[in-house]
Amino acid sequence: MNSIPRLVLVLTLITAGAGLVLSLVESVTREPIAEQRRQEMLRALQAVLPPADNSPDEDTVELVVGQDKRGRDVMRKFFRGRKDGQLSGLAFKVVAPDGYSGNIDVMVGIDPSGTVVGIEILSHNETPGLGDKIAFPEYKKTFAGKNLDNADWRVKKDGGEFDQITGATISPRAVVGAVRKGLEFYRDNKAEVIADSQGGTQ
Amino acid sequence: MSLVNNIKKSIWAENAVFRLLLGLCPALAVTTSAENGLGMGLATTFVLVCSNIVVSSLRKVIPPKVRIPSFIVVIASFVTIVQLCMEAYFYDLHKALGIFIPLIVVNCLILGRAEAFASKNKLLPAVVDGVGMGIGFTLALFVLGAVRELFGSGTLLGYSVFGEGFQPLLLMILPPGAFIAMGLLLAGMNLFDARKK
Repeated sequence: MNSIPRLVLVLTLITAGAGLVLSLVESVTREPIAEQRRQEMLRALQAVLPPADNSPDEDTVELVVGQDKRGRDVMRKFFRGRKDGQLSGLAFKVVAPDGYSGNIDVMVGIDPSGTVVGIEILSHNETPGLGDKIAFPEYKKTFAGKNLDNADWRVKKDGGEFDQITGATISPRAVVGAVRKGLEFYRDNKAEVIADSQGGTQ
Repeated sequence: MSLVNNIKKSIWAENAVFRLLLGLCPALAVTTSAENGLGMGLATTFVLVCSNIVVSSLRKVIPPKVRIPSFIVVIASFVTIVQLCMEAYFYDLHKALGIFIPLIVVNCLILGRAEAFASKNKLLPAVVDGVGMGIGFTLALFVLGAVRELFGSGTLLGYSVFGEGFQPLLLMILPPGAFIAMGLLLAGMNLFDARKK
């Protein structure tokens, strides 16, 4: 009964059946999942961009921000918000690699001059009750209106002017540092980012 | 009648988390709020019932020598289905439960029931077993999540319970709080049973 061919046959049939069912489910859920992810992206963009009447997730520019460990280019996407055809603001994602536990993904929204309109924490693993306060509205608000010229981009403990959180200095320090680097990158590459053509690197 | 008794038994006397101590990894990890506990419990129940159905109906076809890989393929398929559907239709819950959904595959409760019960019983008892165990698991996670949320954030299912002045007991939301709450609940159940005798 338990000959090898039978074992192989049964196991093959079971895995083939599983594969069939899974491919069906995947084809049904593919669209809704893509839509959910897009909606989430749009919500984050809306939260950080000045009022816009276009679809910022379709009006983008990608630039090289640096190389990763293996020498491959790391790209950064700039989402451009427009009002009546005029550029009203830009949004881009920065990653703070030095959070308390893992990366912190931050969406930064600025006006074309480089002043922060708002930030949104996309994902983080900071300690609940301490570091995770970086995702609270009261904390995110402290970035609005700041730019590289009118603010010292360090937390207060390091001599700057950004609030740290009681019991958690590392998370705000990471966020402030990442946003600052993002703003500096924008300042240095502004011409390419706001250029109308889909120029830069593709 | 015995079916109802079976369900009752798997909710209290053989509760997966508090009595069999199976599936503790998700029970401790995701129960930072009642809602997370409920979502995880229901997802696990779904996988448990479905895998019990398939394993029980295929019990005469699957040779004993390859039963464990077969069970795992069945369980992993249902977990993937849950994950895809959850991401498509309950996106917020999906974000909250995150990596713990794929980990349902290695929840020993599910493989344990497939191996110990579904592969040896007819379809109906296997379904009842899955439902009962699932309810027991869901209740346990819900209670654990509710206790931790209540003391750790001062809310229950997102609604504030103690008002503004409450200082949340942060420890309860952090991993140690899971062990402490779990231990206290276990002790409470044992005390209750001891009193009854």
